[in-house]
Amino acid sequence: MTESVTTTATAHDVHHAPSPTGGSGWRLLYRAGWIRAFWMTLLFAGIGFGLVVLVRWSGHWHPIIDTQPLVLISALVSAPIGFLAGIGAFDYWSYYALGYPTRAEDHSGHGARSWRDYFRVNTDHKVIGVQYLVTTIFFFLAGGLLALLVRAELAKPGDQYFEPQTYNGLFSVHASLMIFLFIIPAFAGLANFVVPLMLGAADMAFPRLNALSFWLLPIAGVMMLSSFIVGAFAGGWTGYAPLNSDHQPLGAIFFNQGVQWAGASSIMTALNFLVTIITMRAPGMTFWRLPLLVWANFTTSLLVVIATPFIAGSQFFSMFDHVMHTSFFNPVGGGYPLGYQHIFWFYSHPAVYIMMLPGFGIMSEVIAVFSRKPIFGYRLMALSLMAIVVLGFSVWAHHMFTSGMSSWLRVPMMITTLLIAVPTGIKIFSWLATLWEGKLHLRTPMLFALGFLSMFVIGGLSGVMLGAVPIDIHVTDTYFIVAHIHYVLFGGSVFTIFAGIYYWFPKMTGRMYDERLGKLHFWLTFVGFNLTFFPMHILGTEGMIRRVADYPPRFEDMNMFISLASFGLGASVIVFLYNMITSWRFGEIAPANPWRAMTLEWQVTSPPPTFNFDEIPQVVGSPYEYGVPGAQHAVLAPSKAREMEEVPV
Amino acid sequence: MRRGSIVALLGLALIAAGIATAVALLPTWLPVDASREAGRIDFTFWFVIAICIGIFAVVAAVMAYAVLHFRVREDDFEDGPPIHGHTGLEITWTAIPFVLVTAIAIVSGIVLSRNDAEAGNTLRINVTAQQFTWTFGYPDAHDATSPVLRIPEGRSIELDMRSLDVIHAFFVPEFRTNEDIVPGLVTTIHVTPDRVGTFPLICNELCGLGHSTMRSEAIVMKPAAFAAWLKQQGKSAAPAPPSTTSTTTTSTSTTSTSTTPSGSSAAGLSVFNANSCSSCHTLTAAKATGTIGPDLDKLVSYAQQAHQPLAAFVHESIVNPNAYVQPGYPKGLMPQNFGTSISKPQIDALVTFLVQSAQKTGKQGKG
Repeated sequence: MTESVTTTATAHDVHHAPSPTGGSGWRLLYRAGWIRAFWMTLLFAGIGFGLVVLVRWSGHWHPIIDTQPLVLISALVSAPIGFLAGIGAFDYWSYYALGYPTRAEDHSGHGARSWRDYFRVNTDHKVIGVQYLVTTIFFFLAGGLLALLVRAELAKPGDQYFEPQTYNGLFSVHASLMIFLFIIPAFAGLANFVVPLMLGAADMAFPRLNALSFWLLPIAGVMMLSSFIVGAFAGGWTGYAPLNSDHQPLGAIFFNQGVQWAGASSIMTALNFLVTIITMRAPGMTFWRLPLLVWANFTTSLLVVIATPFIAGSQFFSMFDHVMHTSFFNPVGGGYPLGYQHIFWFYSHPAVYIMMLPGFGIMSEVIAVFSRKPIFGYRLMALSLMAIVVLGFSVWAHHMFTSGMSSWLRVPMMITTLLIAVPTGIKIFSWLATLWEGKLHLRTPMLFALGFLSMFVIGGLSGVMLGAVPIDIHVTDTYFIVAHIHYVLFGGSVFTIFAGIYYWFPKMTGRMYDERLGKLHFWLTFVGFNLTFFPMHILGTEGMIRRVADYPPRFEDMNMFISLASFGLGASVIVFLYNMITSWRFGEIAPANPWRAMTLEWQVTSPPPTFNFDEIPQVVGSPYEYGVPGAQHAVLAPSKAREMEEVPV
Repeated sequence: MRRGSIVALLGLALIAAGIATAVALLPTWLPVDASREAGRIDFTFWFVIAICIGIFAVVAAVMAYAVLHFRVREDDFEDGPPIHGHTGLEITWTAIPFVLVTAIAIVSGIVLSRNDAEAGNTLRINVTAQQFTWTFGYPDAHDATSPVLRIPEGRSIELDMRSLDVIHAFFVPEFRTNEDIVPGLVTTIHVTPDRVGTFPLICNELCGLGHSTMRSEAIVMKPAAFAAWLKQQGKSAAPAPPSTTSTTTTSTSTTSTSTTPSGSSAAGLSVFNANSCSSCHTLTAAKATGTIGPDLDKLVSYAQQAHQPLAAFVHESIVNPNAYVQPGYPKGLMPQNFGTSISKPQIDALVTFLVQSAQKTGKQGKG
């Protein structure tokens, strides 16, 4: 295995295909790219439209032009396939299918030589990683703006700016974008860039699948955003049936289908990570020498592969109920509304860990490097990730304590839920122990890591409160839940995403970010975040429910305060964007290893060469041996390294 | 570890615990408790809060100490001591959280089983939820119904809840009760109110566009007053007496089983209020300002747009709302069961009332 990896990697310094610019007008029309994507999207939309009309006409179904199936098939299914084919995601596989000779060592779609290469199908994991991050930050901004509109409406009781359909759409699309198009794929983007480098591999195991995974994302995002045009889906991101499967405007199926595209993207990426991590580790990289970020993505990918098909199923069934009038969840036809919730949460609780574990990985990297100490209790850190994966599948019904499900289920689900606090606690205490007696460098990534640690503890503790059924009965579906989820997903996931972006920014762009602006961004975010979300705990226990545009006047003062704080939090993102854009363009040139880190991605240039390593490195020790005299994680010239190898592989 | 650092660490932990305790005690976290179940739930709440304060203090102290004492200058290139782990410590911080969460689980389990326990002499009430109204039926009083929940103090109540359309939830913060109402299922709540008063009764499961208006009230009455009220409902003769504890505007509404003298606009108005039409519709004559459904002050022009005579249009829009939906409003939003849930004479009264008030506003508009 190791040998074949070595040979393919060294054989990679091959000719690049001719630069894609230039060519006559007709060739532009047929060549993979945005022009072809445009007309193929229209063509496929037309084909979908024609198919539906043809079937309805031949079956004498009236009306022949029926909006729901037409929009579903032509706009939400076939047009995206046309787009993917047009942009070139299927080109290579089409050669197989059509019997053309394949080009085994064709790297024409690999690597970036100009900014244009970021706007086409690219098989380089580093380019894909950046594509992911820029796209997800776009949707982060979109979702953030929706949240600010929600807060504007909530600043005062009564209806201010939006009618109920739009308002309910605002918070539903906000949550869906943040979950499916920011947190989950932003982690996938960071891991895409970093994991193959950390493993000492030239790329992911399936680069073309990797490219396809990315291009599914904008489709899902556009679908969710454009649901506002046809009547936004207004059933909340949880999309409970039968409200969302029967009583909603057309936007509901935009949500159903958007989740399918984003979910397919997640599943393919996760499979790619699993195969890459299992088969493409550099010689000497045993599982107990994997950096914890790799462990985190390994366990996350297990969760994604096992759980995501469940949400896909739940959204298909919900959509069938809506469009084809089946009765999976409609009691009128014998359906079972709670069935939706069981299937949905069987995915969506593990999804919470899909949104947490990669962040745990980033934490371990950042805290070890900026404390200049080995990670405390490495093996228990890795095992606790596995424990969370296993326990994570046994707790879903804690979202349903008051749903009307069988009441006996509550106590067992409460016990498993509370038990998750144990492996999570191990992680938090181990990070604290890593800080202890370290040499702390409070650079921006470290500030976000410490911010994460403090916020996630609060989110975790309110999670323990929610895990206790009697407390949950009182606060479920109130602002206490809103506060909890934001402490976990914003104070948790988003802080780690920021930590990761700042930490690997020099590696990705080859330039340093502005440290002062980075620290300013941290403090604005940290203060704005707490002022926005902490008071929500109190609102919730006092009895203010979530997902309403109107509320009793006695909650007015606190809501006005929260709204003002949220605008400050929103403004902090401007500092981040300004820092990223100007530093990417004009920042100081970054050295290969500005943080003096031991993991492999820092042992190559910033940004790394197209195929990452000139020679496949030889791993000789743990990735966190800070303070151990003469310790090395890997040697980049393997001929010398063989002698240093302590443990035979 | 030196003694000085232990003292500093303890000091920081005390400060963190002090701040956290102040945050827990200074604001009013929980609303007044008005049921026996609420007391037990509050106990669990404060029990877990105490544990949380302890954990938070430990974490905050270690972090603060580390940032204050282990921070180094940018140009310090030294590494920390290579400590890889400590089995004893790792066992400790696996075991302590395990014990704490076990304690929380045991307390919660006991509270749950006490709160769910059946009591003797239970009063059963049928709760019907639909977009976006509540109906409370009393089997003890010949199934008399009321738009607000009236219950006696000190008696165990069982609510048997049904939904006519989507999932709703029954939430009275002061009772600490909360349970979803699922179409196709009957879900139940047990509650023993122990405080006389009027409390908000809220649907807290997103149920559609009028979700935020789906509110009613739980009125806890002295047992004698309740018995008198229930008896009167049972006879289903007169409207409910105005309750002294009630502040609700709908408390004067009639029950749906009582007969109304048809034709009078007062009767129509009470039907309008009893079925919470005002949560979605605007109607000047009823001082209603809802904006979810069409504005009923404009019924004259709606009828013209639908090319139907006014009275017939209004009647059909109530009993068969999807036959014609005013452009700009979604189909299927208006409950479709008013034709069966409201009695015929009441519908007639409602139609008369709506036609009269629509014509009145129409004339005012012209004049």
